[in-house]
Amino acid sequence: MRSLIGAILSATLMAGCGANVTLDPVTIPTPLIDPIPMSVALRIPAEFEHYVHEDEVLGREKWRIDLGRSNAALFSQLFEFMFDDVTVLGPDDDASALAIDALIEPSIDAFEFSVPSQSKTESYAVWIRYRLKIYDSAGDMYANWPLSAYGKSEQFGLTGDEPLKRAAILAMRDAAALMIMNLDKSTAIAALKDRPAATLASGRSGSAASEAAPEEQAAGQKKTQLPKRREVALPPPGPVAGPAVLSMDPDQDDTRESVPEGSTND
Amino acid sequence: MTEATISSGRILTAGFLALALSGCITSRVEDAREGITGIEAGESIVILAKSYHLGNETEDKYINCVEDALARGSKGLRVIPHRQFVDSLFPWFEPRTAPAETKGLPKLMQRPGVAERIAEQNLRYIVWLDGDTDRVAGGGSLSCAVGPGGGGCFGFAWWQNDADYSAAVWDLKGLESAGSVTADISGTSFLPALVVPIPLIARAQAAACKGLADQLRTFIVDEPQA
Repeated sequence: MRSLIGAILSATLMAGCGANVTLDPVTIPTPLIDPIPMSVALRIPAEFEHYVHEDEVLGREKWRIDLGRSNAALFSQLFEFMFDDVTVLGPDDDASALAIDALIEPSIDAFEFSVPSQSKTESYAVWIRYRLKIYDSAGDMYANWPLSAYGKSEQFGLTGDEPLKRAAILAMRDAAALMIMNLDKSTAIAALKDRPAATLASGRSGSAASEAAPEEQAAGQKKTQLPKRREVALPPPGPVAGPAVLSMDPDQDDTRESVPEGSTND
Repeated sequence: MTEATISSGRILTAGFLALALSGCITSRVEDAREGITGIEAGESIVILAKSYHLGNETEDKYINCVEDALARGSKGLRVIPHRQFVDSLFPWFEPRTAPAETKGLPKLMQRPGVAERIAEQNLRYIVWLDGDTDRVAGGGSLSCAVGPGGGGCFGFAWWQNDADYSAAVWDLKGLESAGSVTADISGTSFLPALVVPIPLIARAQAAACKGLADQLRTFIVDEPQA
């Protein structure tokens, strides 16, 4: 009996430490923009669709944040607003038969949050660093854009669940605003519209192509002789975001050098 | 004595007690006008918080309070709820994208659908709130104990909250700044306890809300100052 009471007491005390937060699919309002006249495919990797972040705050509070389908829902909805034609693909779907101008593959590089006990404020904050890889119609990587989003919510309610959810939703909304503003500026994706794959491979000044190894550049020159083709031979679903990275430090990001010049989060 | 007399007596006593038992508040509300204001029937305003990307921490409940205070009463203004407005113009008033200065307004108006959406809502003024309420000082000590024969508290505690807010008013008719209103309120609360604690609370944020909203209404409607 005593052990039962002890267990109940411990469970009650533990309930106050940390939380288990699950996000519902996020929706965004219809943006006031002119869509880019392109046909794109959006491939949602499995890790992106079921992203879970676990952390221990100050060695005491255990937090488990399950973003669930919220990211997939957000990106599908956003790109449908941003492009004339969007095909959403699952991680194992074959895109080779699709007539598209580009394929976009999002991933999460890092997720971080802070709670009032850490920040000594009354706010919950969430940072998410996404990465968008853009492939041209030949299946070559055309751009690789990391973008950082931030959301903050005041403390409300009895637990931290709802403010943290709100901060995460605001971070996703921030990412959506950033992509609307800067996707084409940072990746030049609109240049892929109806352009032959060969031209694309050799015509990327200041982008990943110019920084590629000599043998890759040689391969790129070879591609310039290829005729225009609209059927895509896209790479198989590749490795995307690995386990959640705790650091948001851009210096720790070994893929950053392949970002096109002028890429910015501002 | 009738029941109504007793009831009004109690209300008066409660009101007097509330007044006597509140903390100490000092306030300063000012405006700085840059242009002629005024608002016509049917025109509306929106109250927004400056971006938290810029370090601003204006509380949601403060924005709601100012919205309610401006919309209330016979001279109430037509106030568009801030979240509804931000959603209707997505993504151009998000914390990352909202214009920081009036010189960004002409470009914003040229974006597809923005001018039309603002015209649909008959929006005349955007009011940008900046600032927050902070506890700046405090002291004293208070201890409470409970025993088989009862309990009680003994001691004295105090704290001071500063509510500093500013409101920048943008006139969408000329796409220019109309001026600003500021409210600096300092409130000191006391909690003396001799068996029973008696809280004397100074509601600095509520005072800043009322002071700023009253001044904003005068500023926007361009009523002559009393």
